[in-house]
Amino acid sequence: MAKWWEKFSRSQLLVPLSALLLLVVYNLFRDIGFFSIILATNNDGNAVLQGNLISILDGASELAILAIGMTLVTASSRGQDISVGAVAAVAGSVFVRVLRANEITLPIILFAFLAACAVAMLCGVFNGTLVSVFKIQPMIATLILFSAGRSIAYWINGGATPTVDGPLINYIGKLIPGIPIPSPILIVILLGVLVSLVLRFTNLGLYTQAVGINEKSAHLNGINPVWIKLISFMVIGVCAAIAGAIGVCKIGLINHEKILLDIEMDAILAVAIGGNALGGGKFSLKGSVMGAYVIQALTTTLYSIKVPSTSVKAYKAIVIIAIVVLGSPMIKEALMQFRDKRMKPAIDKLFRKTSDVVESQ
Amino acid sequence: MIARRLVAVLFLPFLFCGCAQEAGSMAGTTGKDPIVVGFSQVGAESEWRVANTESMKAALSEENGYELFFDDARNMQENQIRAMRNFIQQDVDYIVFSPRVETGWDSILQEAKEAEIPVIVIDRGIVAADDSLYRAYIGSDFREEGEKAVKWLEDILEKQERTGEDIRIVHIQGTLGSSAQISRTGALEQAIQRNANWRMIEQECGDFTRAKTYEVMGAILKRTKDIDVVYCENDGEALGAIDAMEEAGLKCNPEDGVIVVSFDATKKGLEYCFEGRIALNVECNPLQGPYVDEIIKKLSRGEQVERKKFVDETLFDFYTITKGMIEKRGY
Amino acid sequence: MTSNLDTRGRVPAEKHKEPISNTNLLLTITICTFFGMYALAMLVWGGGFLNPQQFLDIFNNNAFLIVISCGLTVVMIAGGIDISVGGVTALVTMASVVHLNGGNGSVLGSLGLALGIGLAFGLIQGLLVSYLEVQPFIVTLAGMFFARGMITIISNDPKTASQETFLALKAFRIQIPVIGYYGKAGNFIPASIEPGVIVAIVVVLAIFFVLGWTRFGRNLYAVGGNKQSALMLGINVKRTKFFSYLLCGLLAGIGGFVYLLHTGAGDAANATASEMQAIASAIIGGTLLTGGVGNVVGTLFGVLSLMTINNIVRASGLRDPWWQSITTGLMLCFFILLQSMVLSAREKRGSFQIPGWMTFASRRIHHES
Repeated sequence: MAKWWEKFSRSQLLVPLSALLLLVVYNLFRDIGFFSIILATNNDGNAVLQGNLISILDGASELAILAIGMTLVTASSRGQDISVGAVAAVAGSVFVRVLRANEITLPIILFAFLAACAVAMLCGVFNGTLVSVFKIQPMIATLILFSAGRSIAYWINGGATPTVDGPLINYIGKLIPGIPIPSPILIVILLGVLVSLVLRFTNLGLYTQAVGINEKSAHLNGINPVWIKLISFMVIGVCAAIAGAIGVCKIGLINHEKILLDIEMDAILAVAIGGNALGGGKFSLKGSVMGAYVIQALTTTLYSIKVPSTSVKAYKAIVIIAIVVLGSPMIKEALMQFRDKRMKPAIDKLFRKTSDVVESQ
Repeated sequence: MIARRLVAVLFLPFLFCGCAQEAGSMAGTTGKDPIVVGFSQVGAESEWRVANTESMKAALSEENGYELFFDDARNMQENQIRAMRNFIQQDVDYIVFSPRVETGWDSILQEAKEAEIPVIVIDRGIVAADDSLYRAYIGSDFREEGEKAVKWLEDILEKQERTGEDIRIVHIQGTLGSSAQISRTGALEQAIQRNANWRMIEQECGDFTRAKTYEVMGAILKRTKDIDVVYCENDGEALGAIDAMEEAGLKCNPEDGVIVVSFDATKKGLEYCFEGRIALNVECNPLQGPYVDEIIKKLSRGEQVERKKFVDETLFDFYTITKGMIEKRGY
Repeated sequence: MTSNLDTRGRVPAEKHKEPISNTNLLLTITICTFFGMYALAMLVWGGGFLNPQQFLDIFNNNAFLIVISCGLTVVMIAGGIDISVGGVTALVTMASVVHLNGGNGSVLGSLGLALGIGLAFGLIQGLLVSYLEVQPFIVTLAGMFFARGMITIISNDPKTASQETFLALKAFRIQIPVIGYYGKAGNFIPASIEPGVIVAIVVVLAIFFVLGWTRFGRNLYAVGGNKQSALMLGINVKRTKFFSYLLCGLLAGIGGFVYLLHTGAGDAANATASEMQAIASAIIGGTLLTGGVGNVVGTLFGVLSLMTINNIVRASGLRDPWWQSITTGLMLCFFILLQSMVLSAREKRGSFQIPGWMTFASRRIHHES
């Protein structure tokens, strides 16, 4: 038990998990109904799960997906991609453009999605080339698409808010009849499983970390840092395409100015809350995804205590500062020292006592 | 290093591509002396706005004898000042703009006046210290639209014999401070005061967008589901509110569900109206281009023009709308 | 990238003609590009570009951007980043308007409020970044969220200042007697600049002086260039960083007041994405995000270049709304690639050349000791 505690207090997941726990406890005391989940029937007669927890999971889908990509980019290139929102808008526009040109059927949706993926990956290659070949800081390199991306998205469709309609679109954005869980949640789970399988059965994760920790030594060990960085930017491109497509399907239209606005900031935040160093190297995808849910849980909690949607940002900022200050190297060290000096003997004593009791029985 | 150079060579054509296209579009100017108009549009935040832009572009086209400088301010006042100054420097003949805020335009309008460039304000009204600072205003009578909506609501509730029971109203406001929001909100708030049984149970800002309203309405529905009327201030908001309500299992129709009132009457909005999901859709006509064209033509002939001109608008409700009306909509 | 440590030992040995430093090289490129671009625009489109007022209007319209870009340059030279400046600018406009429209608001009071808000943001962010070692991006991101959120808490709808002294100050123009242009009726309109421009110029000169001729300025270059060697040179890295954020916050406050002098309205949409424009200006001006290289004069030309390209797009008749952002992106891309290639070419060519900031910083410090 004591060992477990020690391991946990050093783990990356400490920050996001305790933040999540705090939110849960706060809501428990505030209003226990916050956690209720009911099985309701919507207008089309399909069963659907409803409740704050579901809407947190559903609402955070795009963010969680982008957080996965952002983690990889952060780990490999020691910087962040601030163009994800814009790239998602571009991908979403391509998606809508293809859908509007054709009758919406399953193969067409798949084709539109692949087209969106291709364009987003191209954006990723553009960013990745600037970062890996030209050695430009990721934030600066992605500033280009950050400033031009949404306009490119506008250009693609040539209209402000083109709409797409149809039951198939609703299946992706909302519900598949017969499955009461919103589809975006399922997509996140699917993607999460896929990515963790890839990381488990290939050396990609290890290579990414190696490049992020020390590029030169990684190179000496036969890892090509250029490729690793390019791959991570291509992955975030695909993530942006998925997020863009979900964003479009959720509301059935694309508004190039508004879709996934400011999500790059939230995604970087999710990575940081997840205990990952923004300076690259070691990473934890679990942490980042959890970070995404922490952010959404916070937003939903704020909404439910009637904070106006426009001022949510201010409260969010305070919580962010609290989280990062607690996770900052200085404070962490101080806490560690405190734990080793004061808590450890106490905990050891506690566990010794219990084990004594067990033994004596 | 070779790789780096190779990629650089690959990138360069893209850069020149941009330049080449810039140069290419220069060639299109006509030989005659066109009327040069600078148009500062506030943004491209909604379909209504885009229809407005398109109408302006169509009316002030080269075939019509115009040369149009267009600028999209991306919803920032700062950008509009920037664009209008630029138009003054370009020595345009007329400046048309749809203001982001109602006040604070005096100094830039003064600059235009000094350069003797007539300014025409469209869509949203402005308050200027001196009325001579702009020549004409073209727009919708938002107050009248609001009055039309509450009048219809009063009538329908009377017809349904619901004057005795409490009418619980959710009000989704547009971007706060815009004249459309102020006027449409004003009409509703006054109607609530004169109808004792109307209750405003929630009032939130939906920012004229579907996504934002979907979020806001979702939060409202978690607090209460006992809603009779949802008063949205444009179609985007109505669509977002309907999405949220239908997901929560509420029915939207004027017969036995939630009565949704909306403004704008875009094609999408009218389709919803035909299905009854929007009970009433008051038109807000974005096709202001022809009116601007008419005023500029009059001004350049030296004729007098009306200072304030409202565009023609009608309303569509579930009971009277036809398929033909929807098909006629271009936006 | 540039490895500074390899060549450090050679500093005192170097005696022959000094090569142009990276800072100055990038600066020269930017200034030349700007003048080339403007001259080209004058030749091709003439019209407005020949009108001196159009050139002055770049200053009139972007005075606040120049001010906040200076702040960002300082932070970036020290190897940090501050993305809260746009939010702080907007918050200052809103707070000042509310103060001005309140019963006994005064212009001086609102100026004090502006500086106070700026300093408060700089102080807290500086403390968190330098002393608690939290990542600057996240801290200032939170700062931006907080500022943008606070605006809507103060007031959800745009507010216009109505206090008379302020309006008089806002309407005040400094007219330049000789140059000007002729209006439609043949009347002469003298060229004029807004009061905010004076503030911006003063800020640029002040920061230019601070960076080049004070110990704090040299410390900034040293800290941004290489933290380790800065420490070895006995520089208080933490304090230097802290003051860079404080200065940036102060400038954001000033920028907010200048913005208000320009538009006269507090609005949640004010200065949207201006932090990114400021970063872009600094980069075009030759400041490296990695730190240690940069110059505030370059930043000024960065702002001018960015805005000139927008004017060119307008003049060239690219009517579709998307062209402005796309050309801005292309220009940014051009400069970033150019810098990368120039720097890498220099790095390869002469191994005797050490990065410019190193000669700069170490030589000066040498003198001091």
